[in-house]
Amino acid sequence: MAYKILVVDDEPDLEPLVLQRMRRQIRRGNYEFVFAHDGVEALEKLAANSDIDMVVSDINMPRMDGLTLLEQIPDVNSDIRAIIVSAYGDMENIRTAMNRGAFDFVTKPVDFEDLQITIDRTLEHIEQWREAVSSRDQLVALQNELDVANQMQQSILPTVFPSGPAYASFGAMTPAKDVGGDFYDVVRLQDDCAGFAIADVSGKGVPAALFMMSSRTLLKGSAIGAGDAGAVLTEVNNLICDDETNGMFVTMLYAIYNPRTGELTYASGGHDPPLVVHPDGTSDLLPLTGGIALGVLAGFEYGEHTVTIAPGDTVCLYTDGVTEATNLDGKLLGIEGVQDYFATAPPADAESASQEIMKVVFEFTGEAPQFDDVTCLTLRREA
Amino acid sequence: MAINAEREGGTVIAKADGRIDGSNAGEFQTDLQGVIQESDTALILDFESVSYISSAGLRVLLMTAKTLEGNGAKLALCSLSEPIREVFRISGFDNIIPIHDSQAEAAAAVSG
Repeated sequence: MAYKILVVDDEPDLEPLVLQRMRRQIRRGNYEFVFAHDGVEALEKLAANSDIDMVVSDINMPRMDGLTLLEQIPDVNSDIRAIIVSAYGDMENIRTAMNRGAFDFVTKPVDFEDLQITIDRTLEHIEQWREAVSSRDQLVALQNELDVANQMQQSILPTVFPSGPAYASFGAMTPAKDVGGDFYDVVRLQDDCAGFAIADVSGKGVPAALFMMSSRTLLKGSAIGAGDAGAVLTEVNNLICDDETNGMFVTMLYAIYNPRTGELTYASGGHDPPLVVHPDGTSDLLPLTGGIALGVLAGFEYGEHTVTIAPGDTVCLYTDGVTEATNLDGKLLGIEGVQDYFATAPPADAESASQEIMKVVFEFTGEAPQFDDVTCLTLRREA
Repeated sequence: MAINAEREGGTVIAKADGRIDGSNAGEFQTDLQGVIQESDTALILDFESVSYISSAGLRVLLMTAKTLEGNGAKLALCSLSEPIREVFRISGFDNIIPIHDSQAEAAAAVSG
């Protein structure tokens, strides 16, 4: 497409001269010219032709001079670039024009070869400028999408946690700046039982957020329908494997707590094992159940394990945002970091257990950037 | 992270080192794709010098395993440090990718 160039000069001879000397560029479809004879007419032409790319303007003209025109152009369209035509050696006007935002200048009498080089250089600059603006717009759009995904991730988290006469639970998450894929969920089941899930989707950004949303929906459906913890993960895994996952997977731990017996039955799909903190501050990691991350292997049968939670014990589910929290020295917190903290300050209840895990993580990482979502879900059987 | 690959017949032995995480998983994937040929029968990944692998790195291994499976080729890992071995144990990825103590053991397993 031809670039549209507005030439502004009160000299009536200039128009035929430009058309004649630039005829090749016009014929090839590179340039298209619009003419005006003073600043006022130039502004009218700019208003009527919103597709003008650049202006070549004389300085001394009736009604409105070129220097005043220069000041007005950005109000019409800040992407337009201008070249000023000045008398040879008129450094004062050239300096004023440059200070008012002219891109370049040529001197009279006009050397058309030089004018063409200057025009091409200006157009090249305009092209680069447009590309930069378009990349920036894309970046802003992407950032907006990520913000939406981030809000989505936050908004699906439950805010009310199961509790009963002899137990309470609580969850907390601090999302990373780039959308990660952690979530937790709670499900109320028959016979006063409650289901607790915590999960971490591989990858970041919008794809991970969408994958997380669908994993969470599948989990919710299966948790209400399928029954046992292992059976729930087996079903969710098969449903995820039915879809094209593009190599994405989700680690998930699902646990069912029976408040009548204090029994916790859990199944792990490639997720970190639960930590049980005793009232005296000692703690144990529960055994893994041998399950693979969900979305990797269709038909996998997930095993489960049952433990009895003693009165006063706190069960902590967490994601690798906790264990792999990294400080400025490059050291990992590890689950040992959390265990060390609770050794001297055992949690008083489910809510403070979650909040203290977050505190331990962020006091450890200090000024270091947060790379991953930090998420935990805690359950305490009251003493 | 860097990959050093040698070929012995149809078996590629690739040594990775350093951290494999979200910041270089793409590079890791490209490098692996670069060393595998369609006619290869096996890829042995020597993880002796790998200090850390995140879920983004596991995802690359999963996709590589699928590609190899499509070619009828095998994937095996060897010489994992204990923390890395733990990542494979916790994530359950040792269910789909055989893990061996040494290159020799891995080589024997993929040729068997």
